[in-house]
Amino acid sequence: MSGTGARENIFATRMALTNTKLRLKGAQTGHSLLAKKRDALTTRFRAILRKVDEAKRKMGRVMQLASFSMAEVTYATGDISYLVQEQAKQATFRVKTKQENVSGVVLPTFEVDRVPGSDFNLTGLGRGGQQVLKAKEVYAKAIETLVELASLQTAFTILDEVIRATNRRVNAIEHVVMPRLENTIKYIISELDEMDREEFFRLKKVQGKKKRDNAAAEAQRLADAAERGEEPQEDEPEAEATEDLLSSKDNDVIF
Amino acid sequence: MEALFFNVDTGFLEAIVRGYKAGILTQSQYANLTQCETLEDFRTQLSATDYGNFLANEPTPLSTVTIADKATQILVDQFNYLRSNAVEPLSKFLDYITYAYMIDNVVLLITGTLHERDTHELLDRCHPLGVFDTMPALCVATNVEELYQSVLVETPLAPYFRGCLSASDLDDLNIEIIRNTVYKAYLEDFYQFCATLGSPTTDVMQRILAFEADRRTVNITINSFGTDLTKEDRAKLFPAIGRLFPEGNNALAKADDIDQVRIVCENVGEYRAFFDGSSNSGANGHGDDAGFATQLEDRFFHTEVHLNKLAFLQQFQYGVFYSYMKLKEQEIRNLTWIAECIAQDAKDRIQDFIPIF
Amino acid sequence: MTTSFKNRNLLAVIGDEDSITGLLLAGIGHINEHQKNFLVVDSKTQVSTIEAAFQEFTERKDIAILLINQHIAEKIRPTVDKYSQAFPSLLEIPSKDHPYDPSKDSILKRVQKLFGE
Repeated sequence: MSGTGARENIFATRMALTNTKLRLKGAQTGHSLLAKKRDALTTRFRAILRKVDEAKRKMGRVMQLASFSMAEVTYATGDISYLVQEQAKQATFRVKTKQENVSGVVLPTFEVDRVPGSDFNLTGLGRGGQQVLKAKEVYAKAIETLVELASLQTAFTILDEVIRATNRRVNAIEHVVMPRLENTIKYIISELDEMDREEFFRLKKVQGKKKRDNAAAEAQRLADAAERGEEPQEDEPEAEATEDLLSSKDNDVIF
Repeated sequence: MEALFFNVDTGFLEAIVRGYKAGILTQSQYANLTQCETLEDFRTQLSATDYGNFLANEPTPLSTVTIADKATQILVDQFNYLRSNAVEPLSKFLDYITYAYMIDNVVLLITGTLHERDTHELLDRCHPLGVFDTMPALCVATNVEELYQSVLVETPLAPYFRGCLSASDLDDLNIEIIRNTVYKAYLEDFYQFCATLGSPTTDVMQRILAFEADRRTVNITINSFGTDLTKEDRAKLFPAIGRLFPEGNNALAKADDIDQVRIVCENVGEYRAFFDGSSNSGANGHGDDAGFATQLEDRFFHTEVHLNKLAFLQQFQYGVFYSYMKLKEQEIRNLTWIAECIAQDAKDRIQDFIPIF
Repeated sequence: MTTSFKNRNLLAVIGDEDSITGLLLAGIGHINEHQKNFLVVDSKTQVSTIEAAFQEFTERKDIAILLINQHIAEKIRPTVDKYSQAFPSLLEIPSKDHPYDPSKDSILKRVQKLFGE
């Protein structure tokens, strides 16, 4: 198991295990947060999409009205385009930018900022001035729609970008970071288990050796006692042997 | 006496112009035109009228601007034919008609010069009726001072410019004020000239010109509401002729809102009808004023057409030439309007043109 | 990013004569030191001129919204489609002779693609 999939290059220790577990936890939290953000943005995005669609169609109608009012001007006044182009000096119709915060994304919104100007007030003075005035108003209305649409569209572009970035992160966490951490944990655990088993086996071996030695020593002692013709006292050496075992364990095993 | 010698010089041209007049579109032709679904249909319908195949060589898609341009070109050709066959004093009279367009063109050139544009490209934008031989010479001028001098030397408009403007005025004044000042001088001069032609030309023309002057006066008054045009300046733009002159003009110069304009106009019987239905609009605030004023513009157009039609009722006078030009101009506006409505799919407004016959 | 759009308060237009006239009437025209914020396009205008104006307007720092007639955008479609900056935001507007066609709009195309998914 531990050999499959990518994992971090790390020493399999309990310390590393704890750290990695913490990091996995962090990644999971991050993932769920980002996923929530993505969902929130997507909801907003969908709403904006629909509005963009609507507004674009509305713009089609509004602009048609506007160009029709231009036709009225031409009817009443004649061609004024050159005069208008040359008389334009300072923009009286501007936009202001405001910011709106959606799940940590700054979306700019445009607002119409109109100052009364007198650039074309006298256009069509002798004839058709009222039509010019009307066209001016109709076009101003049309531009308001356009500005609104521009806000939506900018939000659309920015959100699109942000959602892509968020998606990339969510996917990266889900499909790269988290599996790697999980693999690392699995690896550490399996390594530790392996070490446990090795240790256990070693202890068994040591114990076996000690038992054999003890048995040999006991046999020796019995043999010696038999030579001296004494009855051996069974219990005491047994206890000593146990003590020996404990003390040897103390020396070799760290935990 | 008039009638006796009129035909010696002018009989032929009067016959021609009355022939042209017969070609002006009629109510039923307009009805056909308004039924068109596309500009292609429009072209087909027009080819059945006196316009003939004037659009035949135009590439599709047809634009409304092309239609207007081509129609104007026909009018210009007709006018040039009349002009080249005319002798004094009719030739002088016809020249006077072109001055109005000339003023527009010169003003256009002034605008271009003021903003240091290449004025040569402006020549294309000039109204063909107002083109004069020496016009390219005006384009040589690089600053307003030079332009002013060349206008004085090269154009027939010299008296109007000299009389009311100086070179520095061209720099300082709003271009619309220049236009209207010059136009006022032109109208007054034309009026005087018509007076020298004797009856019945004088009668017919003075009636039309008086209306034209009054229309300008009323329009300038209404359009200057809410602008930075002072009342003294406004008064200077009013032509010193017309039925509202002088006391009406004085009152209009002081007017502050549309109701005062209405009161002034009610002193003249024929103008009373213009303001019908406006009495309650004053109370409703400014929004209605604008709507009403566009309506007023329409009524002015109607009256203009009506007066010009009247000119044809009398023989042996020059008014028919002027009237024909004006009626034809209105017709071109109508055609453009209908074409515009078709192109922009605004069928509900298509009837808003002014039928002539 | 917050600072980049603070100074943007102008609208710019690339369009035909009628559209420009109307928009200028409404007061968006701004001329300083021989720099205009609009370009009149007629049948004689070179595509390269339009491209240049498009580049200029999109690089200027004081323009918030760039309006362009759809039939003119059509002439420089590759450039328009490639454009993806948030500022200035690009709007395709209809003109008198060319009614609005949603299927050609580069933004709407993206919208439709996203909805289609």
